[in-house]
Amino acid sequence: MAAADSPSAALRRDLCSRGIRLAGKMRADVVDLLDAYVEQQGLDASASVAAVEGVPLAAVERWDEQTGTQRLLENLAAYRAFRALLAQMLEEQREQLGEADAGLGRALAAVLLQVSAFAYHLEELLRLESRGIPGNAEEEEEEDGPPPPPRLSLFEQKLRGLGVLRELAQWAVRSVRDLRQLAKPSPATGAASGLAESP
Amino acid sequence: DSHTQYERVGADVTMKCGSMDWDAAVIWTVNGTDIDESHLNGSYLILKNVGLSQSGQYACYEGSSWHLKYQTSLKVGMPPKEPVLMCRSNNYPKGFYCSWHLPTPTYIPNIFNISVIHGTKDMVCEKDATPKNRCHIRYLQLFSTVKYKVTLTVTNPLGKNFTTLTFDEFAIVKPDPPESVVAKPVPNNPRRLEVSWQNPSSWPDPESFPLKFFLRYRPLILDQWQHVELSDGTSHTITDAYAGKEYIIQVAAKDNDIGTWSDWSVAVHATPWTEEPKHLTTEAQITETTSASTSSFMAPPTTKICDKGAVVGSGAVAVCWTAGLVVAAYSVLFI
Repeated sequence: MAAADSPSAALRRDLCSRGIRLAGKMRADVVDLLDAYVEQQGLDASASVAAVEGVPLAAVERWDEQTGTQRLLENLAAYRAFRALLAQMLEEQREQLGEADAGLGRALAAVLLQVSAFAYHLEELLRLESRGIPGNAEEEEEEDGPPPPPRLSLFEQKLRGLGVLRELAQWAVRSVRDLRQLAKPSPATGAASGLAESP
Repeated sequence: DSHTQYERVGADVTMKCGSMDWDAAVIWTVNGTDIDESHLNGSYLILKNVGLSQSGQYACYEGSSWHLKYQTSLKVGMPPKEPVLMCRSNNYPKGFYCSWHLPTPTYIPNIFNISVIHGTKDMVCEKDATPKNRCHIRYLQLFSTVKYKVTLTVTNPLGKNFTTLTFDEFAIVKPDPPESVVAKPVPNNPRRLEVSWQNPSSWPDPESFPLKFFLRYRPLILDQWQHVELSDGTSHTITDAYAGKEYIIQVAAKDNDIGTWSDWSVAVHATPWTEEPKHLTTEAQITETTSASTSSFMAPPTTKICDKGAVVGSGAVAVCWTAGLVVAAYSVLFI
């Protein structure tokens, strides 16, 4: 049904497939991490956590109308933010518990690694479309990323961590869907589902 | 000037004859039939411990003139019990529907009111024409972690009740079962069955939201199911079927990433291919040479011991019952 595959279309599909697998694995690990985190931190799994500043929300309106570029940019921005948030959580973990909770720390670090890898994968996809990759705000700032927020209490830190992980789990599912949309052959008019045709 | 009156089952009901005095002479009827005076206290009609069968049209007439003084429709029923509410998304990501019913009937008209809140936002659940006790909602947002809260209130003249459901977007995703499940034998393969099916038609976008499938199968004679999970494709070949046994096969579906498994599909039956029996045969098979059979042979006349309809079993082990009797008789002799 599709015309002969151009090399870039085949590469895009390949990157999307790999991205889908990465996101799938990431989601499974985040879900496990969430369970461990809730237990370790003595939290109630069903606790409602108000939207915390700086945590990218996966919720989106008119998701099906997004262009491919929009999807990639929003995903990239989110995972960059998660990279910083998870690094902060790791830092807080070490401060709170020292070496006492190595298991949770290791799991957090593993997820952080996958988040970084996924962000890089998204940059690859953007590069494929000769899209300029938006500057990484963190590169210009201190190594801690965004300016450190006011010091939260221990409990607030824990709740925030819960919010971060929950939202990350949602993003992982969304990313799989986004990449599937991206992998679809774009219609001749270069409309919503594929990446926009070059001008 | 007609009235309607609702009363609980088991209640004691007193009906007054409009503005007539207590000591006026009146006649009460129910659905046109006179009511015996023993039920009257003066001009009041007393109904104790009313039952459902006492619902009806009650009328009161002045004794001498037969003027109609009062009439009322009595409806005996119950206040509503807590309703049963269920919400489900079988058309993700378009939206979800909620459906409800009462666990026990009230016998009088009920009004249902449903409210859906997403965080702080009120959403409208549009009532379906059919079935009646159902409404649907379109998702405005996807991938939200904010839960949905659905409250169903049921009201009738005798009371009210309600129930609430709280859930998140992913939890209620449950597709309809796969459709058009077909199972066929594979020629020349006595242990194989080819099964194929289709995505449920209610699932709007299987390309972007692919389904995975769960197949279960067993021979009719066994209770234990075999299971196969399939992450893609809408067909599968069973390769370990017992030769000659009839199988029952079902398929279920689930979104690849979220939600729960569908109910099992309609069951299909199939028997693996079996070779045509060459020696044990019935008279019917010998005489029906007009059928498109590729092999032809003449059975020796001594095998003509069976009637057409007397075959027991199938496939390679067809034995007619008279032959079976003979064999059984001989076996008894040899025990």
